[in-house]
Amino acid sequence: MTTEETSKQNSSAGQTESKVPAALVVGGGVAGMQAALDIASQGFKVYLLEQSPSIGGRMAMIDKTFPTLDCSACILTPRLSETSRNPNIELLTYSEVKSITGEAGDFRVRIRRKARYVNEKKCSACAECVPVCPVEVPNDFDQGLGFRKAIYSPFPQSTPNAYTIDKKGEPPCRATCPAHVNAQGFVTLMKHGKYDEALEIVRDAIPFPGVLGRVCISFCEAECERGTLDDSMSIRNLHRFLADYERENNLAKPVVPKIDKKERVAVVGAGPAGISCAYQLARKGYPVTVFEAKPEAGGLLRYAIPEYRLPRNILDEEIQRVVDLGVKIKVNTPVKSVRDLLAKGFKAVFVGTGASVSNKIGLPGEEIVGVIHSVEFLEKVNTGQDVKIGEKVAVIGGGDAAIDAARVAVRLGASDVTVIYRRSNIEIPAIPSEVEDAKSEGVKFMMLTNPIEILSPRGVLTGIRCVRMRLGEPDHSGRSRPVPIVGSEFTMAVNTLILGVGQSANPRGVQTECDCTEYATVKADPVTLQTSIPGVFAGGDVVLGPLTVVKAVGQGRQAADSIDMYLRGIPFGHSPPERHRVQSYEVDKRRVLPAKRAIMAKQGIRSRKSDFSEVELGFSEETAHSEAERCLGCAVCCDCNQCVKACQRGAIDQSMTDESAELSVGAIIIATGYRLFDITAYPQLGYGRYSNVIHAMEYERLINASGPTKGHLIRLSDGRIPESMGFIQCVGARDVSKDVPYCSRVCCMYAIKNAVMAREHNPDADVTIYYADIRAFGKGFEQFYDMAQTRFGVKFVRGRVAEVAEDKHTHNLTVRYEDTETGTLHDVEHEMIVISPGIQPPEGLDDLAVELGMDLAADGYVDVADQIVTPVDTKIAGVFVCGCADAPKDIPDSVSAGSAAAMRATIILNNMRKKV
Amino acid sequence: MSETAHEPRNKIAHEPKSTFSQEIAAQPGGEYIRKCIQCGLCTASCMVANYTDKYRPRKMVQKILIGEREEVLSSELPWLCMTCRLCEERCQEGVSLAEIFHVVRDIAAREGHIPKVFKDTVNLVMKDGWLLKGSYTDFEQDDRTSLGLDPDLNWNEEFMKKVKARYFGKEPVEGGEQE
Repeated sequence: MTTEETSKQNSSAGQTESKVPAALVVGGGVAGMQAALDIASQGFKVYLLEQSPSIGGRMAMIDKTFPTLDCSACILTPRLSETSRNPNIELLTYSEVKSITGEAGDFRVRIRRKARYVNEKKCSACAECVPVCPVEVPNDFDQGLGFRKAIYSPFPQSTPNAYTIDKKGEPPCRATCPAHVNAQGFVTLMKHGKYDEALEIVRDAIPFPGVLGRVCISFCEAECERGTLDDSMSIRNLHRFLADYERENNLAKPVVPKIDKKERVAVVGAGPAGISCAYQLARKGYPVTVFEAKPEAGGLLRYAIPEYRLPRNILDEEIQRVVDLGVKIKVNTPVKSVRDLLAKGFKAVFVGTGASVSNKIGLPGEEIVGVIHSVEFLEKVNTGQDVKIGEKVAVIGGGDAAIDAARVAVRLGASDVTVIYRRSNIEIPAIPSEVEDAKSEGVKFMMLTNPIEILSPRGVLTGIRCVRMRLGEPDHSGRSRPVPIVGSEFTMAVNTLILGVGQSANPRGVQTECDCTEYATVKADPVTLQTSIPGVFAGGDVVLGPLTVVKAVGQGRQAADSIDMYLRGIPFGHSPPERHRVQSYEVDKRRVLPAKRAIMAKQGIRSRKSDFSEVELGFSEETAHSEAERCLGCAVCCDCNQCVKACQRGAIDQSMTDESAELSVGAIIIATGYRLFDITAYPQLGYGRYSNVIHAMEYERLINASGPTKGHLIRLSDGRIPESMGFIQCVGARDVSKDVPYCSRVCCMYAIKNAVMAREHNPDADVTIYYADIRAFGKGFEQFYDMAQTRFGVKFVRGRVAEVAEDKHTHNLTVRYEDTETGTLHDVEHEMIVISPGIQPPEGLDDLAVELGMDLAADGYVDVADQIVTPVDTKIAGVFVCGCADAPKDIPDSVSAGSAAAMRATIILNNMRKKV
Repeated sequence: MSETAHEPRNKIAHEPKSTFSQEIAAQPGGEYIRKCIQCGLCTASCMVANYTDKYRPRKMVQKILIGEREEVLSSELPWLCMTCRLCEERCQEGVSLAEIFHVVRDIAAREGHIPKVFKDTVNLVMKDGWLLKGSYTDFEQDDRTSLGLDPDLNWNEEFMKKVKARYFGKEPVEGGEQE
């Protein structure tokens, strides 16, 4: 390929090119292939660019050719291999033109080669990858009739003979997740009941499928594309199901440590960030020691989150898995100095000490008996200490800790629990379902209210004085700033006051050895998470301030990647190339049926108020499976890497990216083909509504031996062989009201061929063609038309079909037409209707025309310079056209035009050669 | 146009008998009549054709094209079009059948070919001021009385007289010129 270097050489004005002149053929159909072969056989270089993964074009989809009824593939396949073997032809499949500059003899074409994710040279098309791929999408090569996998080859003779992964980018769920859990991946595997493999995908990203399956705030669900249709996927509950399923069925395989590296790494703090980091490092083979000041590992997961949300056996088991991986956790071991750890021989340190200090509310009386901070309160309850609370409890704050404290207070027997929050229902940061659960357990919510005084005559808490608030202008965080309403103060009696107004990093914590902000959080590099001390990394709440578990877990993973690169001496610090996030319009939602989000069963309200058993009861396998089926599979390929494991030649490379290249060519041939008219513009014919109304290209695939039915001509409604078929002509052609006044030139003949093939497949079938006139204008066409009537018994009726009606029970179709030879009206029932659509200029031709500075004709086709004397020259010098890009043509005419365009192009190339 | 009269009655069988199609094409709405390729989509789409074998819009256009001027103008068929325009919606050649039949009726009326039923209707309205006077019977009066409505409709014949005087002189013209 001409690389950027050669283009730089060319950019010097002098014509000192010593290279072989080259041409670009855009479009790898039969016309483009012919043009490429003819140019190449004269010793010139040809770039044959094709947007789909294989050359072959429409002819590869067609079953037979007219008027000779030859097998289309039998004619095409030798041409395919001839094209791919020709040393002068360079195939650029799965590619598109980005820009064109220059003039005849000196065009510069910038192209984009889309990543195939399969190495064309290594792939032998053995198809081992296909059965393991869990993604099924409608097969566009089969006109959407059958399904293909995300890794696919359009047809058996695909050229180049290599598979392609259809990957649109990163799905919104995964792009949103701070820990980059591959949600589409595990959900897709769940559709097939592959729970083991699915859980493995979750565990690639996080050590906590069961824990985060319960407590995650699920940013992914807010971005889930399914939410734009009905409800978003219940992603969190699905990975909880995976963990539950493994536990309940004792399927967990023993974890074998694979510590094969020497560099020891220290992790300070056994919270979610620290454990996540240690887990990822151990998986990479590093010996890791985690130092924890408290008596048990788990951090806030253990000491703050109540047991009814996160049963401790789940947490213990998942931490145990990390220990089993070879991670040493030293509890009751506070770290005095990070630098000491480095001095003791640890090659890198991760600081994940969290934000453990409770914020003050700033009112006098915070220290008195009866007032307690929420995290302190939760820790006491969670560690089994005796906590005394009064009858009337008030909780200040609207975060998860505040809601947790309120619900715990209910369980400890408080009769009246009120959450006091200074903003409204909308701004409350706690997980909405937790707020709902709290309300159903009897917790009262007093919104837009703020405490102003703690009332404690004689040192005992008796009540609080509050003021009502209203929402004012947004503050720096974007949330509306609450403003007190003057004169709205009131007093409420309270025995216990729980303050849940946030946490901060400890200002005297070990992290302060590194550069810190004024809030004592570490100033870490946002990409590498490295601190001001080389080899010391930080993540979680100690960097971010108090946030969510999943962000801490994500940073632990991010830091582990950085530490790995740091220890291996790989330069790091630049962000990885950003993957394209799949946009809403790219997701195919046409065939989606509405389905509500699965609802998780919960423990009854009365019983849950009395103890700490788990409230949310998990999904049954059936629920989980049907919930997984709702996933839209936004990115098509779900990155589950099952194909990577199946491929024995190591041909699959998920790290490929789109590449761009610049070609310098002397001539360009446009051979972009055509598209079929969208026949849904004729609602009276029922296409799209009646399953037994299909169009001709769908019919071609149905009768093709490599098609979705292996060549069995059947009805789509019930799989029966149709005994009676009607072919409707001039749909989307010769219709001024649909802006297609021209005759599409091929529909009459292909319909006759299709009708003949229908009789070949089922000689007893009744086959009728409804036409206005039959245009059998080519060599042998009239004889073929005649033979269809006399030898094959196809009926021809002169009269355009006005409408098609379906019988709801039999799915048979009734066509209404006037037989214009007798002047009588008829309603005739058929078992299948095939519409013969006209053909139109291809999609994207207008973009190409803009790049070339070329005007298209009014009908959207390429305008040729002179229809009679220069039928393959466009109005731009050096640019030629063949195939259906300038007008509808049949195969022989397209191929002739291909040869003609090649000849015109080589005149320019020859002149270039002479100059050299 | 390839469609011709079937019986070769005389030498000019393949020529239109008159310039009727040009006459129609010269009128607004009739412009595209000679684009018709006689595919039959209009007849197959037609509601009226569904109920009577007599009415065949394609054949009527055919008659115009072959110049059967007198036959078309004296026929009552062009008066049967309901103007639902479904044929126009589906016609792939852009022929406006409802407009063509409108033009035909205009010419027919000018030349005195109005089906009797249309004349009778117009005359009745001119006479009574409304269409249903004849069907207003004792039964309706009884029904109105039992519903508590006034049986006398207070039909204002003065207004009708004014309209007649203004547009048609003292007496209504037999077989009015208007459509």
